[in-house]
Parts: sequence; C-alpha cells; structure tokens
Amino acid sequence: MLVAGIILVLTVIAYLAKVVGGFEGVQFSPTVSVIVVILLAASLLWILVLTLKGRLIGRRVVFLYVGIAVSLPLFMSISQKIVISPETQQLYDAISELPSGAKVLVSFDYDPPSAPELQPMAEAFLYYCFTHDFKVIVIGLWPQGPQQANLAIDKLLALPEIEAKNLQYGIDYVNLGYQAGNEFVIQRMGGSFESMFPTDYSGHPYSDLELVRNIRNFSNIDYSFNLSAGYPGTQEWVQVAVDRYGLSMGGGNTAVQAPMMYTYLQAGQLAGLLGGMNGAAEFEKLVGREDKGTRFMLSQSFAHMVVIAFILIGNVAFIVGGRKKKL
Amino acid sequence: MRSRSSISPGWTLLLVTTLLVCIVAAPTFGQMPDDGVITFEDTVQVMVAAPTSLIATDHKYDDGEKIDLQWVPSIDDLPGIGTVVGYRIYRQDDGGVAEVIANLPAKANHYRDENTELGHTYIYSVAALTDGAEFMSNLTESISPEREWIDFSKRYLFLIALLVGGAVIYFIEIARRGKKLFVRKIAGLEAVDDAVGRATEMGRPILFIPGIQDMDDVQTLAGLTILGRISKTIADYDTEIFMPVSRSLVMTAGREIIKSSYQTAGRPEKYSDNMVTYITDEQFGYVAAVDGIMVREKPATVFLLGAFFAESLILAETGNYIGAIQIAGTARPAQLPFFIAACDFTLIGEELFAASAYLSEDPKALGSLKGQDVGKAVAMVIIVVGVLAATMGQAWDISSMNSLVDILKTIFSTS
Amino acid sequence: MEHFAVWVAAFLTLGIVSFLYKDNPWYKLSEAIFVGISAGYWFVVLFWDNIYGKFWNGIFPEELIDSAGNVVTREPDYWLLVGAVLGTLMLLRLIPKIGWISRWPLAFIIGCTSGLYLINYFSSNMMRQVEATIMPLVGHWVLDPATSQNAFSAFSGADIFSNLVLVIGTFTGLVYFYFSKEHRGAFGGTAKVGIFFIMITFGASFGYTVMSRMSLLIGRADFLLFDWLGLVR
Repeated sequence: MLVAGIILVLTVIAYLAKVVGGFEGVQFSPTVSVIVVILLAASLLWILVLTLKGRLIGRRVVFLYVGIAVSLPLFMSISQKIVISPETQQLYDAISELPSGAKVLVSFDYDPPSAPELQPMAEAFLYYCFTHDFKVIVIGLWPQGPQQANLAIDKLLALPEIEAKNLQYGIDYVNLGYQAGNEFVIQRMGGSFESMFPTDYSGHPYSDLELVRNIRNFSNIDYSFNLSAGYPGTQEWVQVAVDRYGLSMGGGNTAVQAPMMYTYLQAGQLAGLLGGMNGAAEFEKLVGREDKGTRFMLSQSFAHMVVIAFILIGNVAFIVGGRKKKL
Repeated sequence: MRSRSSISPGWTLLLVTTLLVCIVAAPTFGQMPDDGVITFEDTVQVMVAAPTSLIATDHKYDDGEKIDLQWVPSIDDLPGIGTVVGYRIYRQDDGGVAEVIANLPAKANHYRDENTELGHTYIYSVAALTDGAEFMSNLTESISPEREWIDFSKRYLFLIALLVGGAVIYFIEIARRGKKLFVRKIAGLEAVDDAVGRATEMGRPILFIPGIQDMDDVQTLAGLTILGRISKTIADYDTEIFMPVSRSLVMTAGREIIKSSYQTAGRPEKYSDNMVTYITDEQFGYVAAVDGIMVREKPATVFLLGAFFAESLILAETGNYIGAIQIAGTARPAQLPFFIAACDFTLIGEELFAASAYLSEDPKALGSLKGQDVGKAVAMVIIVVGVLAATMGQAWDISSMNSLVDILKTIFSTS
Repeated sequence: MEHFAVWVAAFLTLGIVSFLYKDNPWYKLSEAIFVGISAGYWFVVLFWDNIYGKFWNGIFPEELIDSAGNVVTREPDYWLLVGAVLGTLMLLRLIPKIGWISRWPLAFIIGCTSGLYLINYFSSNMMRQVEATIMPLVGHWVLDPATSQNAFSAFSGADIFSNLVLVIGTFTGLVYFYFSKEHRGAFGGTAKVGIFFIMITFGASFGYTVMSRMSLLIGRADFLLFDWLGLVR
C-alpha cells in the first residue's frame, strides 16, 4: 500500500511538472545510454549464471525485463541502422512509378489497438502521397479505421511542407468512411464505389465530391494500399479486388499477419508489403520522414534481445532440469 | 517531315505547319475542344506523323464499362529523338463535344477507357503530341460497350472447381450409401476423451472456446462439431462445461448442441443455458473476460477450437499458467505457433476439419474432406510436372516443355 | 477533460497490466469496464452503421445537400427489405415454438458466404499459388538487349536454394495435409519433411508475432511515459 501510495504521489508530481512546470522530459546522453545497455546485458548474464547453477527465476522477472527493455530505449539518444528489405523497396518502387495526380485508394482496416504498428505506416504512406500530389481516397472496413485515417491526415496537414500545398478536402483527398459488410463491400466496390459509399465520412454526397465523382470502381484507381490488422484485411482485398478486378495493391500489415502475406507477394498478387513496426521504420526512411516507426525500433530491438536472451536462459533451465530454488 | 527546321526559315515552317495541322486535324475532328487546339509558341515547331490504324474494340467479359483502343504510334516516335512527347486520347460521347480522357507517354500504343456507360456510343481519336502541337489520328468507328453475362476468361477456374466440387459430391454420395471412407488417424484426437475424463476425475469444469468468429466461418462450425462429440461425453459423465462466446449466433448454436447432448444422454434437467454465455464481440474485451474466468474457475481442461486471432497466445498462455490440459485447433496459420507452444495437443490447419469429419462421421464432412484430397492431389501432380517441365525446358531450351509450362500457367492463372 | 481522459486511460492500462503480477481487484475492475464498454460500443456501432445507416437510410434515404445547396435525392433500395425479413426471422429464435424458422436466414448466410469464399480461396489461395510454384529451378532464358537474342541466365546459388525451398516446402506440405493415405513409408517420410517445413514457418511466424506484441507494448509504454507523464523527451 505504501509503495502504491509513493508511486501515485510521484506520478502526480511528474504530471504536474509536465502540465504546470513545462517539464520537457529526460533524454539519456549516448554515454549513459551505453552504460544502461551494458548494465542490462550484465544482469541478463547474471541470470544465465544463476540458471546454470540451478536457481530459476520467476515469470514476473521476465515481465519486468521486457518492460524495462521496452521503456528505457525511449529515453536513449542512440539511433539504429534501418536496412531496407526487398518487400518495402518494392512498395516504394510501385508508388514511385505513379504520376502526379494518380488516384490512390487507402483502406484503413484496423483500430486503435493496432495503431502502434500501423499508424506510422499510414502516416508515412500518406506523407508520400501528399508530397507527390497523389489524390487520396480513404475508406475503412473496420469501424474505427476512418477515424485513424483522420488522425493521420490531420497530423500531416499541419506539417509546413504539406500545409504549403494547401490541399483541399474533396479535391485532393477524401474520407469515404466506414462501411459494414467485410469482403462483400470490396465485392460491391468492384461494380460501384458509390453504391457502398453514397456519402463520405461527414455526410457529403458522393457525387458532390470532385475527387471521386468520376471514379466508378477499381478500374479508375491507379494504386491501392491496405492497412490491415486482421479480418477483413489484406487477404480479402487480394482475393476480391486484386484477383477479380485487377487492382494493383500494396499491403501494410501487423507483424502477426505479415508472414501469411508473403505467399501473395511471391505470387505477384501484392505489389509491396510493409510488415510490422520494422516495415514502418523502413518505409519512413525511404520517404524521408522518420517518425514514431523509427523511434520505436530501438525499443523493438531491445525487446527482441531480451526475448532471445530468455529463450536461451529458458533452454538452459530446461537442460539443467533442476528446480532447486526459485528466486 | 522531321528536321525541316534545319533547312527552312522559321516563319516558313510555322506557316506550313499551321496549314498542315489544319488540313490534318480539322476535318477529322470537327468539334475540337479548347484545350485540343494546337498552340504555337514563337519557337520553331516540329512536324511529326500522326498515329495510324486506330481501332476501338469492346473489352471482353466486362459489365459494359470498358473499351480498348489500339493504334500504331507515330513513325516519328523513335527512341532517342524525342520529338513525340506523348499521346492524347479524345472521346466523343453520344455525338457530344470531344473531351480529353487521357494523356499517355511516348511509345504508348494502347489504352483502355474504363469509364464508359452501357447504351452510349463513343468515337475516339488519338493525337501525337510534340512540344506545342498535336497531330490527330483517324477517328474510330462509333462503338458501344457491351455487357457479357458470362466471363469465359475464368473457364479453367470453373473446370477445376467443377472437378474438385464433383469429387466432393461423389464422395458425399459414396459416404451416404454407407461405404466407409478412409481418413488417416489424427494425432491428438484420442486426447479429447482423456481430457474430458481428467476434468471429471478432478471434479473441475471444462472450458470450451469456439474462437471469435461467427457461424459463417467454417472453423467455428468445425469447432462446434467437435463440441457435439465432447458434450455427449460430458452429458454421460455429468461433467461441468462452460462456454463463453463472442458471437450471439454461436451462443445459440452452442446451447442447442449441448442441450441435445444432454437430452440424448437422458438427463435434460442437468442442462442449463448458463453453460453457454455471450461475453462481447470486442476481441480483447472477450479475452480479458475469458482470462479472468480461467484464473477464477481453474478449469481442468481447455478446448480452443475455432478461428483465433491475436487472442490465441493470451488465452493459451493463461490456460497453461493455470495448469489446464489444453487441446487447440485452428486453421489460422498465424496463430498455430502459439497453440503448438502452449497447448498439449494441436490440430494444425485442416486437421481441425478432418477431426471434425472423423468424429462426426457425417457423410458431408467426410465427403468434403475426400473431395479436397482430390484437389490437393491435382495440385501436387501439377507442381511436380510443372516444375520439372520448367526446369528441363529452360535448362535445355526444349520448346515442347516450355509450351507445357505456358499451358499450365495459363490454366492456373485464373484470369 | 483531456487531462481526465489521459488519467482514465493510464489507470485502465496499468490495471490490465497488473494482471502480470496476479489477478487482483484493479484488474477485475478494468476488465469489467472494458467488457461493458466494448459490448456497448459494438451495440452502438451495429445499430448506427447497420440498422440505421444501411437499412433505414437505404429504405428511406435522407435528402442530402450538395456544396451548391442543391438537394440530392437517392432512390430507395427495396432489396434491403429481403435482408430485414431474414433478420426478423432470425429473431424468431426467441419464440421456442417457431424457433426453427431461424435456420432459414442462417442457411442463407452460410450459403452466401460459402459461395463467395469458395471462389476467393480456390482462385487466390490454390490456383494462383500453384501457378506461382511452377518455376524453373536452375535458370531461365532472357532476352539480351545487347544482341536482341535469347540467352540462358543461370540462377545464383541463393536463388536455386530459395526456389527449392519453395517447391519442396509446398509439395511436402500438401502431402502432410493429404488425409486419404496413412503416413507410412516414403509417403510418411515426405509428410515428415512437410511438417518440418511447417514448423519452421511457425517459428518465423512466432518471431513476427513477438515483434507485433512488443510493438503494442511499446505503444502503451510511449503513452504512459510520453503522453501521460511526459518523462520522455
């Protein structure tokens, strides 16, 4: 109870410091960052030694380490080299070939829980579209998808380089909103977009939106990008829009889904794929706007190192076999 | 016609060009739009030949929304010279004013107009563009797009689907006539009865989780078929079962299955609707609730059979944590690794459907399984033949092998 | 209000995370709030998007005003009544005596979905994949732009390995899921190779999922340390 009370007081102080005192947060210098990394590695080594001696750690220690591995890199000022994978490059190449004014359909098929992975992809993709004067049509097969799209669009429109373009809603970009019906919506869009989206997100009639007025179906779309966290998602888009209607499409997937999409990539059904935060970071690098995807990669890598370390420790524990004493 | 500028004074060329363009363009396209009028700057203009042999054809197997154009590019559209900078497509809709519908790069020789309307008549023309002038092709004949009711480009898809579908129907009929269809033994199925027995001995409940998809997902149906078998044993042993669901239809189906098992066992009074409870459609809300149930109720056995997504590891890990024996099965490849890591037995992919067919002995399920095996056999044979032919054809340049590969690829490309 | 929302989000995030220590009242409270709100949220979404947005607005379309101030009218879509009738039949389940009628709409849903899935999966996941697997293993003939003649271009060792893995993995995987023959002898051996490939795939998939889960955790850590407490610069 006492510990909980102290933590509560500290959080209130930190919050007040931020809100009232204008405290801007902490950042470790590269030297401190390296020292933290060494300490973390040393403690993992110590756990390995203990395990070899037959003293096993509890699951809560693993949780604690993962928490530390995820949190501490957010304070660090060291950067990680991002290597571009072929599938990310393929997506970038596909949109690089589009002419100015190309009509790009972006389907936001995810909700806030998947935003850490997919929102950086969405922002990077839309950033490229806006800076290259593509016409962007947003839809969502998940109820919260269009809201996620608006968050990304609003953030990008506030950037000086995008603001300078004076993009107009309805002419340069449009959010047609959510439509229930999963892959049946995609199927119907193959015949007519307007039948599925008679109005946009804000209730404007389809025919009143200059950007989409002459867009009948997938035939009038130059490229499509699907941000997907599950069902309905990239698989359904490939099966219906790509294979039936010949849409050219790239996918941005959560890392859980990404391995299953390689099948479509290899068969040429997908023109490019971003997988998880790694894919987001790679794409941010390619479009020249490094943001959350890149910033989070250090935490991601640290967490992976900790997981690998515990896989090793777990296997050592399994081989040693003894469960003499639990820490 | 090219390079006259090098031999003629600029003003002479300007005059000749203007005259020629007027002669070529004006009669062929009487209603030239404003932006189609040839403009001249005070620089020397270059004459190029217009595209020729322009033809418009109805696009096959569509809903009357496409017309294909094909032409021979300007003979002056040569690599490295760059006098022709592109092509512009004009369209007259029902005799109206001609409008520009597309601008294409140099070397283009075809275009698909994907914005036509059924019942309308169109006339097209293509202009070769230079840096400031346009040189019109001939006009096409009037053309109206047509709608085709059957897409014959999908004929191979239809034939192979017919083959596999026919095999399914054939085997269902065979099974209905009482012939025993062989299905190989599936590891993990024997464990089902043991797992139920364990819960009975321990006096603790069984938790059955049918995934988070609705009744339209075949995995949910397979899970519920296995529930039918499990609930029969449960009704016989009078073991407690709890089934939290995330879809209302699954709740209704689950209740019916368990209820009928209790009725068959002769103890309908033991059945209660509370055995199957709806939680929420929201994925992680459902997970949070089921996790809580697991920790509080401590079931001896957990079945995870159906369509699972991100919740798979959270559920399987919690089940593992409370020490339950866990039997899982799903056809979602992304979730199988977690079931394999955290559960005692896992039905991998199609094994879930096979297990469902095996346990239910339902002719339809068994026939479907056997019919699908026919499909797999076809795929295996085609892959082996295709890969061998492609390798031999390419390595030793055997044209017959390459032709075979082309045929196979055409058949399986589905478009 | 924004401060309050951030604190509520932080309180609930920490409440759910506290389950890692052990089941506790804070977790139970967070869980109950989550379940209640999500059930309510889905009810609202389904009502406004399906019943009102799709059905009601489809039968009685709202008059819309375009940017020029003109009234835009839409034709009612009476086909939606068929769906409404089927939906009402589904509700008959609540009346035990005629509850059996609810099987008809269920049959409609399953029939429609099966029809769509049959073609989607058969075409995209079977036919196209078989086509993509038909490939030469050692090299292929390509047009040499310099001489305008076909020339044999041998694959690199890595490409040959990659193609072999693809072809063998696909074939043996199919063998593993062939249920009409017992896994014995050469067939059983091939199936074992198949399960070997499948397990490697699962390993890769596991790794990707760990990445995904860590991303979610990073997202929450960023919320707590940056958006909530402002500790991170």
